[in-house]
Amino acid sequence: MASPIKSLSARKFLPMLGNRQSRFKSGSPEVPEGTDSARALAAALHPVRQYLKVAEIIERSADCKSFRLVPDTEKGTEKLAYFGAGKYLTVFENVGSIPLSRAYSISSSPKNSLEGFYELTVKRVDGGLMSNHILSNWAVGTCVEVSAPSGNFEYQPLRDAGTVICLAGGSGITPFVSMANAVCDGDEDFNLVLLYGSRDPANILFKDELEALEKKCGKIKVVHVLSDTAEEEMPAGAEKGFITADLIKKYAPDNGDYSVFICGPQQMYEFLEKETDKLGIERKFIRREMFGELHNPSSQADYPSDVPEEVKITVTIQDETRTVTGNSCDSVMQILEKNGIAVPSRCRSGECGFCHSHLISGEVYIPKQIDYRRLADKDFGCIHPCCSFPLTDLEINVPAVR
Amino acid sequence: MKKYDVIVIGAGNGGLAAAATCSKAGLSTLLLERHNIPGGSASSFVRGRFEFEPSLHELCGIGTPESPGPLDIQFGNMEAKVNWVKHNSTFRLVVPAKEGDKDSFINEDGVRVSVDARMPVGFEAFSRKLDEIVPGSYDSCMKAFELSEEMTKAFECMGEGDNMGGIFKALKYMPDFMRLTSHTIKEGLDTLGMPKKAQDIFNTYWCYMGSPASQFDFQYYLAVLNGYIKNGASMPRNRSHEMSLAIDKSIRDNGGDIWYNSEVTSVIMKDGRPAGVKVNGNKEVFADRFICNASPKFVLSDLFGKDDIPEKQIRMTNARKTAVSLTTVYLGMNKTKEELGIKDYSIFIAPDSDSDKQYEACGDFYSGFCIINCLNEVIPDCTPPGTSQLFLTTMTFGDPLKDVKPQDYKKLKTKVAGFLIDTCEKALNISIRPYIEEIEIALPPTFSRYLNTPMGTPYGYMLEKWDSLIPRTIQYMQDQPFDNFLFCGASQERGDGYGCAYYTGEKAAKLTIKAFREGK
Repeated sequence: MASPIKSLSARKFLPMLGNRQSRFKSGSPEVPEGTDSARALAAALHPVRQYLKVAEIIERSADCKSFRLVPDTEKGTEKLAYFGAGKYLTVFENVGSIPLSRAYSISSSPKNSLEGFYELTVKRVDGGLMSNHILSNWAVGTCVEVSAPSGNFEYQPLRDAGTVICLAGGSGITPFVSMANAVCDGDEDFNLVLLYGSRDPANILFKDELEALEKKCGKIKVVHVLSDTAEEEMPAGAEKGFITADLIKKYAPDNGDYSVFICGPQQMYEFLEKETDKLGIERKFIRREMFGELHNPSSQADYPSDVPEEVKITVTIQDETRTVTGNSCDSVMQILEKNGIAVPSRCRSGECGFCHSHLISGEVYIPKQIDYRRLADKDFGCIHPCCSFPLTDLEINVPAVR
Repeated sequence: MKKYDVIVIGAGNGGLAAAATCSKAGLSTLLLERHNIPGGSASSFVRGRFEFEPSLHELCGIGTPESPGPLDIQFGNMEAKVNWVKHNSTFRLVVPAKEGDKDSFINEDGVRVSVDARMPVGFEAFSRKLDEIVPGSYDSCMKAFELSEEMTKAFECMGEGDNMGGIFKALKYMPDFMRLTSHTIKEGLDTLGMPKKAQDIFNTYWCYMGSPASQFDFQYYLAVLNGYIKNGASMPRNRSHEMSLAIDKSIRDNGGDIWYNSEVTSVIMKDGRPAGVKVNGNKEVFADRFICNASPKFVLSDLFGKDDIPEKQIRMTNARKTAVSLTTVYLGMNKTKEELGIKDYSIFIAPDSDSDKQYEACGDFYSGFCIINCLNEVIPDCTPPGTSQLFLTTMTFGDPLKDVKPQDYKKLKTKVAGFLIDTCEKALNISIRPYIEEIEIALPPTFSRYLNTPMGTPYGYMLEKWDSLIPRTIQYMQDQPFDNFLFCGASQERGDGYGCAYYTGEKAAKLTIKAFREGK
């Protein structure tokens, strides 16, 4: 029996070629528009760079200031990228010959960005190149270059509990100020309980603002946790000591249905890791902001011995190759920057992968706890220079800075 | 400034294959990519203790070690080593019952469904299973698979020659080739006498090509299906980032240069032809020939001066229809797949069993169409012990984002993700929400950001009846804007899919190499 398929006409095929060309001829001769709703949203939310200007400076404490940043229209930034509360901006600054970058959580609310400003809050860090530079040099009118809002330290209702116990230390308060404002503005919907650790009342940042938010919005509760304050000087409602598991439980809902968000200095993360383990809540309910730049790799238990102090790095970016020397206690990124070479960077904590590079030869040390590389990266010799420390001379290939 | 033989624009799958093929043939090759890693869709990302596969559902064309498929052979040719993991199922189609469906029944999950088809690998097994669900469909199904063998051979012929040569070869060996090419899946299956209900199950993979049974040509669908059903599909061991890095390595090993974070911002013309490109707005690089993996529409609007492109190219781009856009929710779960009650790698949940009705429903994010994948089913240890990862996908045609403002976007993402999760929970009678440890949501703007295509489509142009595979293949050179500037990737003849993009990249490279050898 003949296959039934023979009943399909093969002659139908030939006109298809002509038809296709006629259809093409009927298309508009206007150059297509280089945009659509998806591209426009992507561009609005993820600009490669934002050019801003300092519009106002607010003293937060003796060693801490907030900077209100507005679009620098002369340089081409018309509108600020909107963001989810908790995100950070990476600030790019040349300090002398060093192209520096640092991530700072946005302390203003998402709504403020629609009104035309971001606020970054910078606290002086001993020996901190960027914080010292900003606090000494930024004045009203200073031009500032920042990244798109970045990071994953945000509330997500499909994942997180309805109550979030926010644990803040020092300038780690900034993303929570943004979140509290977002809750107050109705842009986020959760109960925010803030346990904010400071040494003494003089070191509390955003004290009045937090108080106002707590008064204004029933979903926000603020508890100051003061370590170095005498009993008689404790403000009403404050707790003495450090943030511990017991303290968290004291302010957490009785049913145990809560998330914990942590943002603060590295020592605080290390201390709180033991405390949050005692809470008996699932791992998914404990989220931490990025670790920050790791220093002194030799203090890590698995750091090898006999690492030479001075190393050579031969770096290729596009068609330019240079060989530089540096100290092996610095990350690959820091060594390049100290030699005046800018590399792509965002989080500087190993997480975001923005500095993803190819290690052609040589060996690096990558602390396990901040090794967020993809599996295949490990097989193919790809590294994140911000958290890779040279153990030998290196040859690397780094993407250009856009 | 060094002048290259070839500049490849874009390190998506097509661009990677093109650059690997050119550099291996000894051409001095520069691959330019605006993102900081290779692959476009073929990538991965890390959240907490999970590494997610961003786009790959399943890879056909790998075959088996004994009988390697065309894609495995191509990776061998490129000297790109990837660890493939085979999986031994095809798909499960679940259509929740509509009110009043008298044929509906309660399935093993306790859900009332119109269709629940879990289809095995292998022609015989697949046909038997189909016959079990829709009695009387065995013969037509086996006949379709027989034809699919022929069509696969025709595909291999096409791969051997350049455009017309390959087609003539295919014609010579396959008398039915032209018949199937000029008819749709529906016309073909009707002719074979396949019952409608069986056709619906048979057509489940239509969404992988983004064109429903009344549009898509029978010949191409059979060839695609052959790749999935005959031997089963595969996945790379360490997400598709592994595939991209393997090709990246091959390019470097063969002397090619790759610049990341290096966006082509304009094309430099000389004597009416492309002669070079400007990178990141400041650096100029020159070459004799160009292969472009970027989306033609935005290449015309962004890279060329208005008077530099032939009008025909503009009309052509405007006449074509942008293919489907995808929305994906990535979930890191703090339970194993067994604990969650997931038993299949790929479950297609559809609001209707008919592919054309599915297509019509996908005008917004809430069609009820959702593919749920659990990678642990194929690669059990792709997440830490006690956990698993899920990957929910829906598709949209057109523009469901018209009035969305940046400040509404985060809430929209959460709403869409919540809807997709609910869809899966209901259709499979499982619980997902309480166990989400990590979540990432990608709507068309996310894909637009990483792929830079119209509406973020990874699929190129829709493979419509009038703009189907074979006319595209025959007219490939006619479709190119300049004889030294060839496109590759999903916008070209084979449409979307990893294998298709690698194929078009290799083909554009071969045409380029040939032109060099002939001294053109």
